[in-house]
Amino acid sequence: MIRRAKAVLFLLALTAAFAGGQSRAWDILREFVFVPGVSGHEGPAADFVQKRLPPGLKVERDALHNVWFTVGSGKPHLLFVAHTDELGWIVARITPEGRVRVKQGGGLLPQTIEARPVTVHTARGPVAGIVAPRPGYAERRTAGDPPDPPFTAESFDIDLGVASETEARALGVAEGDPVSPRRTITDLGPGLMATRAVDDRAGCAALLDAALRLKPGAVKGRTVTFAWDVQEEIGLIGASELAKTLRPDYVFAVDTFVSTDSPLESKRLAHLPIGNGAVVRAIDSSNVTPKAEIRKVLAIAKKRGIPIQVGSSRGGNDGSVFLAGGAVDIPLSWPGAFAHSLIEKIDRRDLEALTDLILAIVSDWE
Amino acid sequence: MTHRIRRTLGLLAAVAALSAAAAIAADLKSLVKDLHAVPSTTGNEEMLAAKVRASLPKGLTVEEDGLGTVAVRLAGAGGPTLVLTGLDGYGHLVSGIAPDGHLTVDRPVAPPHARFDAYLLGQPVVVSTARGPVPGVVAQPALHLLTQERRRLLVEGYSLENAFIDIGARSEREARAKGVELLDPVTTVALLTELAGEKWSGPSLGSKAVAAALADAVSAPHRAAAGVEVIVAWAAQTKFAARGRGARPPLGAARAQARWRPRRAVLVDVIAAGEGEDGPAVGRGPVLIPVGTPPLARALADLAAAEGLPLQPRTGPGSSLALPFSDPASEAVTLALPVRYLDTPSETISLRDLQALRDLLAAFLTKGEGR
Repeated sequence: MIRRAKAVLFLLALTAAFAGGQSRAWDILREFVFVPGVSGHEGPAADFVQKRLPPGLKVERDALHNVWFTVGSGKPHLLFVAHTDELGWIVARITPEGRVRVKQGGGLLPQTIEARPVTVHTARGPVAGIVAPRPGYAERRTAGDPPDPPFTAESFDIDLGVASETEARALGVAEGDPVSPRRTITDLGPGLMATRAVDDRAGCAALLDAALRLKPGAVKGRTVTFAWDVQEEIGLIGASELAKTLRPDYVFAVDTFVSTDSPLESKRLAHLPIGNGAVVRAIDSSNVTPKAEIRKVLAIAKKRGIPIQVGSSRGGNDGSVFLAGGAVDIPLSWPGAFAHSLIEKIDRRDLEALTDLILAIVSDWE
Repeated sequence: MTHRIRRTLGLLAAVAALSAAAAIAADLKSLVKDLHAVPSTTGNEEMLAAKVRASLPKGLTVEEDGLGTVAVRLAGAGGPTLVLTGLDGYGHLVSGIAPDGHLTVDRPVAPPHARFDAYLLGQPVVVSTARGPVPGVVAQPALHLLTQERRRLLVEGYSLENAFIDIGARSEREARAKGVELLDPVTTVALLTELAGEKWSGPSLGSKAVAAALADAVSAPHRAAAGVEVIVAWAAQTKFAARGRGARPPLGAARAQARWRPRRAVLVDVIAAGEGEDGPAVGRGPVLIPVGTPPLARALADLAAAEGLPLQPRTGPGSSLALPFSDPASEAVTLALPVRYLDTPSETISLRDLQALRDLLAAFLTKGEGR
């Protein structure tokens, strides 16, 4: 009886040493998705990360707002990286009528922003606006009419409620201000939600949670860097900057796996069900992960009892910029439906499995 | 000394008057927010009807018509005047539950315009079940996997054929366990956006704001009744066209006309506002459009002038609510709140217009031609 109790206590102690407490990733994510961080304007998002990192770490931050810390020493050097930037637009100009026009791009389907609220993040604070519906939206159309011109970011005509450029500027709006969709969280059930910027705030939250549960003293015989980088959505720019100074042997980009677990997608590829665990991205648009490394991750997950799936999909990842420097890129993910939308869907179990997987790799990677 | 006291008293009176006005505005804003939060589509007006009923002064007898219409009768000696607005807005309903738990949708009435359904793509929605609201999202294709061909089909050619609501259920059984049933209304999340220039924006905001203005006007302190009897009604099913020969007036309005046979009718509605100088505009006051003979319109215009309220007199087609009241023997007028981006998820109104509408209605009900 005493022997059994001792064994239970030993197991509990082992679990605590590895996990360092309960996962807070879900709560971090629900808070983080409301922090603005359009690519190139990640200051508030970087602040969010930096303020929550445990004390005692030597945290670095560069001019772009990349944030990172390194613990341990020696080889191999493992780098885990998630991006803090989100999709959005940049104010291009203000019309004499006080309407805001944005630069092209954005990365979201413009049709889903038509007649929807947005927020202009000015130096003086957030300003609410409405993307006006396309002109003549309510006019009756007949079969002979020419098709509607495409509705793009350049079609956006953002109504702030004012009638002149002077009034718009008096609100603090200026060229170069970032613009993002107004966001909400839709709770689809316990531990299941849909919201904007899960890509890649979920990756950031997983990494932050892992950092909070990590016991730096336990990292022995290896170097581990956790990084939250910027401007992934506009060309892996933050990661490229990090690659100038960091020389990892293995890089684990923590980002969305674009899953086809939704009714409008072909199930030909990327069909990893939401709720079935963390993901190793075998192939995406920027990287082919060596099978031997995938097997190593699967073995670690199996040993720790972490649910995991392997799949191939589309989209790039930050780890790919370290390939030229000699690193092996092993992207880690959660299955995410409706990628690059206002309703990116995520399951809490997948996020927590991802956090556990990060900690397990830190501990067990050879 | 006397002069100073008088001036101080005058200032205090002005401050008190301003405070009273502000308090009324705060009440109206609060009521608009309350009503805006309640889904109400044609055939599913009961929740909004209950909210309107709850906002009315105690002591008024509320009449109902079996479809969800709410009405109150303000006493008076002369033949009845009807002040009518609608309770219902455009929306969708659950048309099916797929084996994988996704919901398909249809509309209870014809859409207000061709792009209406496209506003569903990739948006959060609410399914109002008998057991309460069930949040969902309308599926959209992942951008990374979207080929040009699929973009044409699923985005540019979006239709209800491609509208699937994800409520987090994996089977029909799970969906039903959440309380979802066929015909449950599906509406855009009632997100209110407060813009600069005292403008508010939100889905179905125009009609909800009008319903609130009328309820608030009825709640205004009434003087002794001196004029005609007034029936104030919030009608259900005003987006549904009555069937039969000839023009098809909105069912809710046709039933109101048949029930109360008013000599005069004020149809309180929304009207699409533009940017130009010619048409109705947001921020210039309610829009007044006479139907047929003009005395009632003239009376309302005089009342607005006497109260110092802005008004945009217009001619031309008024509210479709006025269709059953086009009989030359009766007088009717459309009094409308200008709404920018009407029938989109971001209907935008001016609070100043709304306050003016409310004040004009209150004046009409208390001391104007309405009594």
